[in-house]
Amino acid sequence: MTNNSKENVFLNGNDLRHMIMEACKYFEKYKEAINDLNVFPVPDGDTGTNMSLTMMAAAKELQTFASESIGEVARVAAYSSLMGARGNSGVILSQLFRGIARGLSGKEQARITELGRAFQYGIVYAYNAVSKPVEGTILTVAREIAKGSRAAIQTPLEFTDFLRIGIESGKKALERTPEMLPVLKEAGVVDAGGLGLIVFLEGCLHSMLKRTAQEQGTTYIDENETFSMVEISEQPAAKITSGNISEEFDPSLPYCTELIIKGSGMSSQKIRQSLEGLGDSLLVAGEDNLVKVHIHTGHPGDVLESCLAQGSIHDIKIDNMIDQFKETQWGRLSAKSQPVRPTGKVTGGIGVITVSSGEGLDAIFLSLGSDKIVSGGQSMNPSVKEIVDAVIEVPSDHIIILPNNSNIKLSAEQAADLVEKDVMVVDTRSLPQGLAAMLGLDKKKTLLENHQEMCERAKQVKTGEVTYATRDTTVNNIRVTKGSIIGISDGNLLICGSSVESATRDLINTILSDEDEVLTLFYGQDVTGKQAQEIVEILSGEYPDLEIELQYGGQPLYYYLLSIE
Amino acid sequence: MAKIALVTDSTAFLDKETLEQYNIEVVPLYVNFENEVIVDGTIDNATFFYKMKKASKMPFTSQPSPGDFVKVYERLIQEGKEVISIHISSGISGTVESANNAAKIVGQSLISVVDSHSTSAGLAMMLITAAKALEEGRTREEVVAIMEGIKKKISLIFVPDTLEYLKKGGRIGGAQALLGTLLQIKPVLCLINGKVEAFDKVRTMKKALQRIVNELPTSSEGLHLAMINAETSKEHIEILEKLIEERLPGFSYKKYELSPVIGTHTGPGVVGLAFYQYP
Repeated sequence: MTNNSKENVFLNGNDLRHMIMEACKYFEKYKEAINDLNVFPVPDGDTGTNMSLTMMAAAKELQTFASESIGEVARVAAYSSLMGARGNSGVILSQLFRGIARGLSGKEQARITELGRAFQYGIVYAYNAVSKPVEGTILTVAREIAKGSRAAIQTPLEFTDFLRIGIESGKKALERTPEMLPVLKEAGVVDAGGLGLIVFLEGCLHSMLKRTAQEQGTTYIDENETFSMVEISEQPAAKITSGNISEEFDPSLPYCTELIIKGSGMSSQKIRQSLEGLGDSLLVAGEDNLVKVHIHTGHPGDVLESCLAQGSIHDIKIDNMIDQFKETQWGRLSAKSQPVRPTGKVTGGIGVITVSSGEGLDAIFLSLGSDKIVSGGQSMNPSVKEIVDAVIEVPSDHIIILPNNSNIKLSAEQAADLVEKDVMVVDTRSLPQGLAAMLGLDKKKTLLENHQEMCERAKQVKTGEVTYATRDTTVNNIRVTKGSIIGISDGNLLICGSSVESATRDLINTILSDEDEVLTLFYGQDVTGKQAQEIVEILSGEYPDLEIELQYGGQPLYYYLLSIE
Repeated sequence: MAKIALVTDSTAFLDKETLEQYNIEVVPLYVNFENEVIVDGTIDNATFFYKMKKASKMPFTSQPSPGDFVKVYERLIQEGKEVISIHISSGISGTVESANNAAKIVGQSLISVVDSHSTSAGLAMMLITAAKALEEGRTREEVVAIMEGIKKKISLIFVPDTLEYLKKGGRIGGAQALLGTLLQIKPVLCLINGKVEAFDKVRTMKKALQRIVNELPTSSEGLHLAMINAETSKEHIEILEKLIEERLPGFSYKKYELSPVIGTHTGPGVVGLAFYQYP
């Protein structure tokens, strides 16, 4: 690190490399604490693990990749973290890296402001990775970090201060996540992914402080005052004076609008006042007969109208900044990371890739026409690379992916983007939904037709899951104690019982309705065929009109998966 | 102009009154049990399926011999008639082949053999359409042309209770792919180009029946529709009736039982629809 003045602190590839590797180590310590923040006390609550594995993929690659070029290090970190991304939070984290890489692209070293800007890009990329952003999640936290730090980089400041400001804003947002998402409030937790993002930034800060201390010959003590984890800081955010035109933007104000107003007797102050409510990064320059306007807005039309009231408008330029980010597709990160072009034989027809766990379920998916199983799901989310490999391996140009878990959808979508094949992801959120979707598969039809039909079919089935609680909590007004047996249906925890049998029966009783005709029970690896048979006998007595089918699923952690139609 | 007689086979399973009303001659197929041969159409389905259940070995079915057709064709021609002989799809039975061979013996110039690409209720409705066309004075060529037109658009979609019987009888065609499915499914099958093909697969009877009804035209104009069933549960028939009523309010249609020969292949509990629009 070259330290001239605050303004001119340079970071090179090595600095960034160490920062990421340190941050990864740091994150590792808090992984389990983040896992514990899962809303549902289910054994597959692994936000911390997913994020950790994602950054580990980057750290591992960087261990053997030493470069002075900060752009190159960022590129490698982005590529390897995306390939290693697991779970939604992992994918979002990998997008953060991707944005940073975009910001540092082609640079040998970066000034603090440039690094800050690159982080800003990262945050925007992370935000854009999700098609329907939900407030109260990692995205809210990401956005607030961006907002809080955006202005900060306009004035000379230490990178560590920049990180501190970002972290503080993030923590404030994190604190509010339970207010935005009722499930979090009830479970008494903050959003796990959001915390993960903050912990990662804390890791970066930690690494920087350590390095500075080393350079100054002092010892850096890992005090806990900065790294407050779940406990939210009450400290007010640093006051930052607003800069002028910034390169960064708020995703809700995506239109960078510039124009010149020609008139007479104009006042730039008046014009500024009239535009202030319409966006940010406002700049009004000039006076009297010529005024130049720059603004980031959500409603460029309103800006134009408002300016028209002052005079005639000229040289109008409106850019959607989100497009500018999106245009920077993966391939542009570097020539080395072009979309993967599969070699080998490609046959016609539709290929189907299914994420499944349990030998029984795998076999059922294969029997229904699935071409390839990617192992994972309930207990372990597959990485983007594992899905990419499967997409390449299946000898068809048109691929359907069934993630069968809401936390694998983003990884599947990222994988779809990475391979030069027509790939569509059916948003199946459970294995029963995946099986229902498979029944709609008709390999003679087009990819689009199949996608549509399979999406439709997935909605027509009710899912039930029986597992054990990993901690004490309250969900849906149900008190859950660690180790008790819980029943979940389509994302709602409905039952807490003491035995697998009673919880399964109660869950079925709760979700079964008169129109339902078929109940299929998939028993997991922790249940014997005899035990499963006994439950079926009881259920047959209780529901004489219901057709009940028992199948060996072999899934880990979940005693039973139920499919009801 | 010579009088034209209609000949079919027992799989049309038309009742005696209809056969007499339209002067339709029937050449039967056979169901062969280990120790007994049953002439198709001479036994009711309840008795038949009971027999089948009791039998130690699955019965097999056989087409009429050319000789069976020769007897009927010769008699009709001696009566001074020409013949239109409409039969079960050649994709699932050799009946058409026997009829063609018989026609070659008796005289092809007087006999037109039509492969219906259908059977059961589909074949039955085609025969009635043919009989009515003859009543209107259409010629043999014209009626054959009408039949050829209908067979291109006739649909026969059905749900067997199980695929077991089709599998054992070897008449499964493209529905073969459904056999490896580990999950129990309700296969929706259809006759396409006269062969049994998989049309769809669902998990419940209700969805299967809905799937069939979705294929019906939304207008009843010129619609010929019939339900097929064989020892089918009352509940399933009622669901199907309700679904048809929802789609085509007030439209009336007949219900046809499957003949034992067809029942041998579908098994009991099958239900489905045959339909086409003509004119």
